[in-house]
Amino acid sequence: MPTFKLDDKTIPFEPGDTIIQAAHKQGIEIPHYCWHPGLSIAANCRMCLVEILPAKDQRPLTLDILEWDPVAKDYRAVKKPKLQPACQFAATENMEVLSDLSDHVKKARAAVQEFLLLNHPVDCPICDQAGECKLQDYWLEHQKTQKRMLDEPVHKPKAVSFGPTIVYDAERCVMCTRCIRFFDEVAHDPVLDMRERGNLNEIFVAPGRQLDNKYTYMADWVCPVGALTTKDFRFKARVWFLRSVKSVCQGCATGCNTYLDYDSRFNRTYRYRPRENEAVNKYWMCDDGMVSYKAAHEDRVLEPRVEGKTSSLGVALEAAKKKLDGVPRDSIAIVYSAQHSLEDNWALRELGKTLIETDRAFWSGAPDGYEDKILIHKDKNPNTAGVKQLVESAKPFSALVEGLASGAIKHVIALGGATPSTKEEADAAATALGKAETINTNPTHHGALTQAAAIVLPASSWAEASGTYVNFKGIRQQSDKAIESQGSSKPAWQQIGLLARALGYEASWTKLRDIRTRLSGLGEGNAPVHTTITDPHSTEAP
Amino acid sequence: MIKYTNYLTTTYGQPEGWKLPAYEKLCHGYDTARKVLTTMTREAVVDEAKKANLRGRGGAGFPMGVKWSFMRPHPTKPAYLVVNADEGEPGTHKDRTIMEKNPHSVVEGCLIACYGIGAHVAYIYVRDELHLAKRRLEEAIAEARARGFVGKTPFGSSYPVEVYVHTGAGAYICGEETSMLNSLEGKRGEPRLKPPFPAQAGSFGCPTTVNNLETIAAVPTMFNLGCDAFSKMSALHDMKDGGVRLFGVNGHVKKPQIIELAVGVTIREMIYDIGGGVLGDKDVLAVIPGGSSTPILRPQETVHAPDEKNPMHPWHGKSVFDVPLGVDTMRGVGTMLGTCCVTVMAEGTDPVLAFQNLMQFYKHESCGQCTPCREGSGWLDRTLKKILAGKASMKELDDLSDIASNIMGNTICAFGEGTAMPAMGFLQKFRPELEAYVRGEKKGKDARLTVSFEASEQAAE
Ligand SMILES: Cc1cc2nc3c(=O)[nH]c(=O)nc-3n(C[C@H](O)[C@H](O)[C@H](O)COP(=O)(O)O)c2cc1C
Ligand code: SF4
Ligand code: SF4
Ligand code: FES
Repeated sequence: MPTFKLDDKTIPFEPGDTIIQAAHKQGIEIPHYCWHPGLSIAANCRMCLVEILPAKDQRPLTLDILEWDPVAKDYRAVKKPKLQPACQFAATENMEVLSDLSDHVKKARAAVQEFLLLNHPVDCPICDQAGECKLQDYWLEHQKTQKRMLDEPVHKPKAVSFGPTIVYDAERCVMCTRCIRFFDEVAHDPVLDMRERGNLNEIFVAPGRQLDNKYTYMADWVCPVGALTTKDFRFKARVWFLRSVKSVCQGCATGCNTYLDYDSRFNRTYRYRPRENEAVNKYWMCDDGMVSYKAAHEDRVLEPRVEGKTSSLGVALEAAKKKLDGVPRDSIAIVYSAQHSLEDNWALRELGKTLIETDRAFWSGAPDGYEDKILIHKDKNPNTAGVKQLVESAKPFSALVEGLASGAIKHVIALGGATPSTKEEADAAATALGKAETINTNPTHHGALTQAAAIVLPASSWAEASGTYVNFKGIRQQSDKAIESQGSSKPAWQQIGLLARALGYEASWTKLRDIRTRLSGLGEGNAPVHTTITDPHSTEAP
Repeated sequence: MIKYTNYLTTTYGQPEGWKLPAYEKLCHGYDTARKVLTTMTREAVVDEAKKANLRGRGGAGFPMGVKWSFMRPHPTKPAYLVVNADEGEPGTHKDRTIMEKNPHSVVEGCLIACYGIGAHVAYIYVRDELHLAKRRLEEAIAEARARGFVGKTPFGSSYPVEVYVHTGAGAYICGEETSMLNSLEGKRGEPRLKPPFPAQAGSFGCPTTVNNLETIAAVPTMFNLGCDAFSKMSALHDMKDGGVRLFGVNGHVKKPQIIELAVGVTIREMIYDIGGGVLGDKDVLAVIPGGSSTPILRPQETVHAPDEKNPMHPWHGKSVFDVPLGVDTMRGVGTMLGTCCVTVMAEGTDPVLAFQNLMQFYKHESCGQCTPCREGSGWLDRTLKKILAGKASMKELDDLSDIASNIMGNTICAFGEGTAMPAMGFLQKFRPELEAYVRGEKKGKDARLTVSFEASEQAAE
């Protein structure tokens, strides 16, 4: 691979890479606002200016500038090299680039910072971006001077509603056009543009339109400053109180990589932040996914139930034992869940196949839904591929309904709360489920299966338990635990262990590690475990 | 040295000089284009054009023939000629006179240029406010089309050429060539990133040559005279700055005008011979040589080029006002030729107000795309307003050079330099005047851009 020099480092690059791109791939950041690895080049912020040393046979390109000499009380004509935007300038073999080591670059960065903050309201105390704002970070890294312009700044519209989800503040906007480019190039809904001229510029929504599509939340995440914020997160939390884990969105089979931000003091999730993964979601997530962080707190099943009544875990396990003790094993169906992790499903497989020794395997999950050509998959379950890898023989839910209707199946041990039934099929499913003598399930949420179950053992949600999910491409991804399990819920693999023991079996697993070591062989070859490909700055947005 | 010529301006002042009959009578109407399109090859046209040493008349002074030679036939895409008639540079109104008084030279120039660069379509991008200019161009195109000069088979050749007039919306930045291409495509008038240059991907992503309107209007003359002969009319032929061009003089002179001359005229000649001298016979305070983006010159400045190898050496020790107006000579004295329209400021003009006036223009016209220009131009204007109002500190005055230097070279398009360079010029040359405002010795309300003079002198013409 050809290389070039960036300060004192040697950077390999693919022909066609810009300087900033090549550096980014090596985990080296050249300061930038308008550049985004997933968008076209605008080169308008000028924060990424670098000095390119002239080749041996080349004359340096210089510019005449003026310096005021306060001692001599006169101007001094000086020269400076012409700097180039690293986001636009293509890397070439053996090129020498100065970034942090050039005084001219340092001066240019400080100048751009000063220009950007010239008319900025500095309303950080009431800005949701504070703590993760490039203007703040770069001020500290590259400027650190007081404001020289002490007059009233230019005022522009604030708190403009762009649509159902997004609010715009023109005074905080650095006019980087990332938002315009995102909706044009990625969301394919070019509703944003710039209007006015000079320092009166502002972003606006096309007349007659709203910013209302499946990717509006990304506005917040492409915006490097606090100009675009979501109505959902506005004034909800200060980001420095939030902690993050690497998580995987549960919304569909795409399995977008994300950070789940939570506040441990309140044991609550606050938001998702898309996490870069070139092979899965690049830098993006859809709106349905972005709001699904709320699922950790909505519609949850948090206490054990027996025959519809809240009970204790002991009572529920006792009831399960009573109901299932001595029943013929081929009257028991095991129902895996595409909404649960590989670990949970593995535990169920141990119980069903190895301990109870029934061959009746089915799988359940949420019904199909909306899809698009960008990210959204019609399969609304995060682990359909995982369940299929784990239990190849698992039959679809409709087969379970048939089995129950015919009376061949009388007992069900299941994972999850949802059924893949569409509205029309729901009644048939409910009737069939109603015929079962016993349904035992470990759901995280309410759903048709939870509703029908005689015994409910509450499971921790993805936010509360670490788990592995296989997306539709067969990529295995790990999602980490954020908050503590709520109510009496426990990770489903643990609940299933307790159930196994209650039924008189010896469960071989007590720790997540026990399961993970035994899962590691599964699907090998075609399913790499794969959390993030490029993730140079674990929690920083590009 | 003044050498009056009358190629482009023959039709100026003639009855219906803008119509085809006048053009045919006075300017060999379309004979040159006929000859070129029917007897020359494309390559020969470009080679010949290079010999004219015609430096682009739009401001940057790029050699026109060289620019044409950048055009390479594209396997799938058509090529375009885009003629820049946005003429927004303060102090400049030369292109307007051509469109109003000799529009056929533009149409004929388009035919030859299109043929030379391999284009079949020319767009003339005209600044919106120039209603008469647009009408005259449209009429000229219609006349030429009626005669079969423009259209499918000009002069019976098999080289179709269409010429269209496209109207801008009155933004100075749309004169910047890539901004103009965006505007032409119906997009926001913002300069594009380069590369790709217009010759690689210009209008509608196709190879495009952008030339100033005067550049194109000079083409028939060039080919009629022979390009080498054309070049040699210039006193700066040896500096590859050839031919004749429109010179303008405006501001505080008795006879502001646009006139055609061979290249080689000095600023002093422009003021006193062409401009008829300064209003009220006052002294000259300063001169802006070629539109507001070119740094100001003062009469007391002299050329310093003791080295014989220095191309400026012939003028060593002389006043900058005695240097011929040329692309490289003006660069040699620390400014630019720009649009070759000299703005004269008489003694008594307030340079601080003039400075602020210009910066207000740049603040207003910045497209706002890139940070240093968007914010810097506003900051310069704001500080100058404070200085005029007597509210600025010496520190704020000191900061001005830093603001301008921070814009310089750090922007997407040359607008940034167009703002910073004149700003640095004013600072360097009028520091005492600026300080006088800061110290309260002068008051903004007394500042004038006009100078008073006797009514009888005005009638001297
Ligand atoms: C801010 C700005 C404004 C400009 N305005 C004009 C203009 O009004 N007319 C023009 O011909 N060129 C203008 N130019 C120069 C054009 O970009 C371009 O160089 C020129 O049209 C090329 O033609 P030429 O090579 O024939 O000179 C402007 C450049 C800048 C940076
Ligand atoms: S709103 Fe944000 S993303 Fe859009 S231009 Fe402004 S700063 Fe950039
Ligand atoms: S330099 Fe000024 S006019 Fe040119 S692109 Fe930048 S903001 Fe626009
Ligand atoms: S990141 Fe390069 S100019 Fe904005």
